[in-house]
Amino acid sequence: MNRYFNQVKAIVWKDFITELKTRELFSSMFIFALLVIVIFIFSIDLSIVKASEIGPGVLWVAFLFAGTIGLNRSFMLEKENDCLQGLLLAPVDRTALYFGKLISNFVFLLIMEAFILPIFMIFFNVDLIPHLLPLIYVIFAGTLGFCAIGTLLSSLSANLKTRDIMLPILLYPLIIPIIIGSVRMTGQILMGEPLSNMMNWISLVLCFDVIYIAISIMMIDFVLEE
Amino acid sequence: MNEQTDPSSSHSIIQVRDLRKDFGYLQALSGVSFDLNKGEFLTIFGPNGAGKTTLIKILTGLMHPTSGSAIIDGFDVLECDAELRNQIGVISHATCLYPDLTALENLLFYAKLYCLDDPEERANESIKAAGLQLRRHDQVRTYSRGMQQRMAIARATLHNPSVLFLDEPFTGLDLRATNALKDQLHDLHIDKRTIIMTTHDISCGLEMCDRVAIQNKGKFLLLESIDRIDLENFEHFYTEVLEK
Repeated sequence: MNRYFNQVKAIVWKDFITELKTRELFSSMFIFALLVIVIFIFSIDLSIVKASEIGPGVLWVAFLFAGTIGLNRSFMLEKENDCLQGLLLAPVDRTALYFGKLISNFVFLLIMEAFILPIFMIFFNVDLIPHLLPLIYVIFAGTLGFCAIGTLLSSLSANLKTRDIMLPILLYPLIIPIIIGSVRMTGQILMGEPLSNMMNWISLVLCFDVIYIAISIMMIDFVLEE
Repeated sequence: MNEQTDPSSSHSIIQVRDLRKDFGYLQALSGVSFDLNKGEFLTIFGPNGAGKTTLIKILTGLMHPTSGSAIIDGFDVLECDAELRNQIGVISHATCLYPDLTALENLLFYAKLYCLDDPEERANESIKAAGLQLRRHDQVRTYSRGMQQRMAIARATLHNPSVLFLDEPFTGLDLRATNALKDQLHDLHIDKRTIIMTTHDISCGLEMCDRVAIQNKGKFLLLESIDRIDLENFEHFYTEVLEK
């Protein structure tokens, strides 16, 4: 088991070192998310629409689109110089590969989201500080589900010529329950409701997190095989 | 769980039996069988599309055959578990190195994946053996093709595998880099590693091997000891075999 965790850790370490050197992933995700928020803020009249009603949707669209860029890049990195072959030739369980990539994607996305939240606060004039803890919980659960299925699908689409198109086509329909749940919960949190009032949504998102991780563990062997 | 076969049953470290691979209607491999003893060097020649890379991919566990069997160092390739992967190293024209990482970081990463004792020391040793210690902190993308290929060998032999697979390792190398690579392969051969190499480079392929195979349309048309090959007229012989 220790060997397994060390291998997962090695994959995460490699992804972080690469990102620290290139900063390609973070910068592209952040700029894209920022652009989405800026475009929406100029198209919405906040004197007519409540920020707490429209804001959660905008926030999650920004996370979703920026996250897709990150997921696409995640396995592209492994395709350069056929590094994926090097990983597959190593005595590493395929699920360790999956969890390594999942953790990297998850942390990169959380970091990007941490930078986007203050910008969202300023542009939408919403005070997130009193609701920060439940909001972090919702973002954590939503992002986990998104990365769980996204990592599997990005490993699948990495072998396709039309990978840039295929990932969103495969991912977005599957991610709908998690995004709907996350948007609903974010909206209710911004209106000051406690998490205990939204147990249905919490259960829905957590169930899909577990389902997508379980499906990925079962499928990753077939997905990575040539 | 893989079980090692009784070593006394055969001296061969590699036993391939009637290996077949179909891609739809296309037969990439149609019944390849051969044995290879420990420390032997087999060179496989063949035109593009002969099925050489497919054979290497199946023997390294990257691809499942349609039928047939392959045993490497007592481990069934079809099972392809960690023990088998600890015994093999693969070098192809793709280096499997992360271009944004330094040479040291690349080897450190692979050493961690293979769970080697003291990964840093092992990575440094391999870089030294590849003659790249002065540039070990440089990103791999700044290396020449020849240096990258030397690093690829360092990566593939990091875990001290007993069997090496080389798939067109000379692709894109200039004369100097080719000679350096040949020297490295020569050392690995002397080190009693079993090597299977596919190449189009006839002189390089013949220079180092103990046995020669010619593959075409998914079949071995010839598998012979190098002592029984007329090296002077091999090119002519090779063309004749392919045309038969």
